[in-house]
Amino acid sequence: MQAVTTTKAAAPKPRYGELIPYWFHRVIILLAGMMVFFSPVNPGRILKQINENASLFTTAFSYDNITTQLKTAISRGAITEDNIRALMLGCIILLAGILLCAVGGCMSAGNVRMKKAGMWFPLAGSLAMLGGLYKIWTDYQGIYTFVTENNKTSRATPITPDGSIPGNILVFAVTAGLILVSTLLVMIIVLPKEQEEKMEMEEKYKLFLMMLPVLLLTFVFAYLPIYGWRFAFFDYRIGDTLSSENFVGFEWFRTLVSNEATRSDLARVLSNTLIMSGLGIITSWLPIAFAVLLAEIPSSKFQRFVQTFTTIPNFISWVLVYAIAYAIFSTDGFINSFLTNVLNRPTSTDYLANADLIKLKMLLWGTWKGVGWSAIIYIAGIAGIDQQLYEAASVDGANRYQRMWHITIPGLLPTYMVMLLMSIAGILSNGMEQYLVFSNAINKSAIEVLDLYVYNIGIGSGQIPMSTVVGITKSLVGVILLFGANGISKMLRGESII
Amino acid sequence: MTAKANDMHTTRIKKSAGDYVFEIALILLFSLFTLLCIFPFYYLFINTISDNDAVTSGLVNFYPIGIHFNNYANLLNASDLGNAVLVTVARTVIGTALMVLTSAWAGYLVTKQKMWKRSLWYRALVVTMYFNAGLVPWYMNMLMLGLTDNFLAYIIPGMVAPYNIILVKTYIESIPASLEESATIDGATTTKVFLRIILPLSVPILATIAIFGAVGNWNSFQDSLLLMSNSPNLYTLQHRLYIYLNTTSNLGAVMNAGAGGVNTAAAQSLLNTKVIKYTVSMVTIIPILLVYPFMQRFFVKGIMLGAVKG
Repeated sequence: MQAVTTTKAAAPKPRYGELIPYWFHRVIILLAGMMVFFSPVNPGRILKQINENASLFTTAFSYDNITTQLKTAISRGAITEDNIRALMLGCIILLAGILLCAVGGCMSAGNVRMKKAGMWFPLAGSLAMLGGLYKIWTDYQGIYTFVTENNKTSRATPITPDGSIPGNILVFAVTAGLILVSTLLVMIIVLPKEQEEKMEMEEKYKLFLMMLPVLLLTFVFAYLPIYGWRFAFFDYRIGDTLSSENFVGFEWFRTLVSNEATRSDLARVLSNTLIMSGLGIITSWLPIAFAVLLAEIPSSKFQRFVQTFTTIPNFISWVLVYAIAYAIFSTDGFINSFLTNVLNRPTSTDYLANADLIKLKMLLWGTWKGVGWSAIIYIAGIAGIDQQLYEAASVDGANRYQRMWHITIPGLLPTYMVMLLMSIAGILSNGMEQYLVFSNAINKSAIEVLDLYVYNIGIGSGQIPMSTVVGITKSLVGVILLFGANGISKMLRGESII
Repeated sequence: MTAKANDMHTTRIKKSAGDYVFEIALILLFSLFTLLCIFPFYYLFINTISDNDAVTSGLVNFYPIGIHFNNYANLLNASDLGNAVLVTVARTVIGTALMVLTSAWAGYLVTKQKMWKRSLWYRALVVTMYFNAGLVPWYMNMLMLGLTDNFLAYIIPGMVAPYNIILVKTYIESIPASLEESATIDGATTTKVFLRIILPLSVPILATIAIFGAVGNWNSFQDSLLLMSNSPNLYTLQHRLYIYLNTTSNLGAVMNAGAGGVNTAAAQSLLNTKVIKYTVSMVTIIPILLVYPFMQRFFVKGIMLGAVKG
C-alpha cells in the first residue's frame, strides 16, 4: 500500500478496493513459499512408502530420502528409478515456479515500473508450478496403472486408492491457479498505466529484502520446530501418519501426572535436575573468588600463566572431558597405574563405574571445566574498578581483606547478579551432553537430568509424544522463569537482562 | 592491564609477614589448580608417544618411555577415523566461514534504522536465543527438511547465530557513522558500504566469532549423534571418540573391521585398546590446543562485548 502511494505524485492514488487482489497476491505467494517446508502438504508424496515427514523441499532434492522404504519396490520392479527421477523433476520444476513467484513478490516492493516487470515472474512461475504438478500427476498415473495391473500395490502403495488426483497436488494446483489469477488481476486492474523511467525500490524495502534470507533461515530452524509440538497431541510412533484416528488431545499431558511410572520417573529426573542446578548456583561465587584471589598475587606473569592454562578445559567438549576422566580414573587409568606401579599397591578399580557422590563429581567436573573461563569476566571487571578507591581506602587504613571485601567484591556484584539471574532462569536446562557421556548403567538414574531424559525417551526409545510433552512443558516453564528473572532484575537493578 | 593495575595497589602498601604467607598460600593454591588443568593433557600425550607395552603395563605416568609416533600414523590409516577427521575439518571450515559471513551481513543490516519493521525482525532473531521448541520437535523438523544423514545438517542450521549477530551489531554501532555517511553521499550502495567499509573495519569481532565458531564446530557432537544415525561415514570426530571410549571389546579388531579388513599389519600394532582410546583423544584435542594461543587474544573482547548486548 505504502509502496504504491509513495510512487511519483503524478500517479493517481489507487483505490483500496483495487488493492485487495494485490495483497491477496502477495499473501498467497508467501503461503506457497511456506508450504514448501511443511510435510503434510507435500505433493511429492504420491506413494505411501515415501517418508511421511518429508517436505516438498526434501522430496525434490533427496533421492535417498524418497527411496528409504522403496528399495524392495524398485528391486521387485513395482516402480522404476525413472519413476522416482520423474517425480523429483516434477518437484524441482514446482519449486522453481514457486521461486519465480517469490522473486515477483519481492519485486512488488519496488516502484510501479519494477512492480510491472515483477508481475511477469509469478505469471511464469505459476505456469511452471502447474507444469511441475502435471509432471508429478502423469508420473503418478503411470505408477498407479502399473502397480494395480500387476498387483504390486503392497510394495508401492498409491496415495489415493482409486487413482484419483492426490489431495496435495490439488492443493498446490489451486494455489498456483490463485497466483495466476491474482497476478493477471493485478496486471490488468491495479497497476497504473503511467510508470517511471527507472526501476527503483525504496531503501526500507531494499534493506528488508536483503535481510530476508537470514529471516527465512531463522524461521525454518528456530520457529518451524514449534510446528513439531503437534506430536504431543497424537498417539504417534515413527512411521505413523497423523490423522483424526490417533488424535488424543491432551491425553499425554494427563498421563504425565496420572501414570504412576511416568510420575516417579519424572520426579526423579526433576530432582536430579534441580539438585545439579542448585549445586551450580550454590557454587556460583567460585569464579568471583578465583578472580579476586588471583588479583591479590603481585606477579602479573603468574596471573597470566594461571589464566592461560585454567581456561583451556572450557574449550574442549564434554566428550573430551570424559576422555580425560577415562584416562585418569578408569581401570587402567592414571590413578590405578600410579597406585600399582609407583606406590606398589596393586589395584584396578573403575572409579567411573561408581555412583557414590556422583552429583558432586559431576559438579567438580563442571567446575574444573568452567571456573577459569567464568572468572575472566570478573578479572576484566576488577581491572575496571577505579584505582583511586583502593588508594583512598588504604589511606584510611583499610587492610587488604577489607579492601577486597568492601571495594572489589561490591564492584563485581552487578555482573554477578546478572549471571545468577541467568542461571536461575536456566534452572531446568543443564544440557544433556555432560550427563550423556558420563552416564553408565550404575550411575544413570542418579544423573539423568531433564534434557537427557527427553533425549532418552524421545530418540532412545522412540516415545515421540511423551518426550514432546515434557519438552513443551520445559520450554514454557523456561520462558516463565526467564521473564520472572528479568522482572526481578528490572526491579532490583532497573535494567533488563535480556 | 588487569595485572598492572593490581600491581599498583598491592605494591604501594608495605607488606606484613601475614601478607607474604597469604600470597604464598595463594600461589600454591593456584599452581595446584593450574597443574590439575594441564596434567591430564600431558598424561594423555605421553601415553600416546610411549612404547605401547609400557603403556599397557601402566608404567608411563610422569614421563614418556621409548618415544615413537607410530600410533598416530597407524590410527589415521587403519580406521574410519580419517573419515571423521575429514568430515569434522570440512564442517569446521565451511560452517565457520558461512556463519561469519551471515553474522556480519545480518549484524550490519540490523543496525539500519531505515529497514522496514526493523525492530520486529531483530526481536524475532534475539528471541531464538532464549527459546527453543525442544529436542524432539527440533529433530522432527530436521527430518521434515531432509537434513538427517545429510552433511548439510552440519552447515545450514548453524549459519544464523543470534548471539554472534548481536556481537557484530554492537561492534558496528561503535564504528563512527560518518564513515558510512560519506560513502553513501559518494554514491556507494549498501552492499558496497558493507564490503568496502564495514567488513574491513569489523575484522577484530569477526575473528573473535570465527574462532569461537570454529571451536564450537570442532566440538560438535550432538548433531552427529542425533541426525546421522544411519550414516556412520558422516560421524564427527567427537562422535567417533565417544563410540571408541564406550567400546569395551578389542578396539583394534573393531576398528579393523570398520576399515574393511585392510591394513592388517597396521591394525596388529594397534590392538592395544588403551592406546587407541588415548590417541584418538589426542587427535581430537590437538587442534584445539593449536588454535588456543590465537583464541586467547580474543577472550576478554568477546566476553565483554557479550556483557553489553542489547
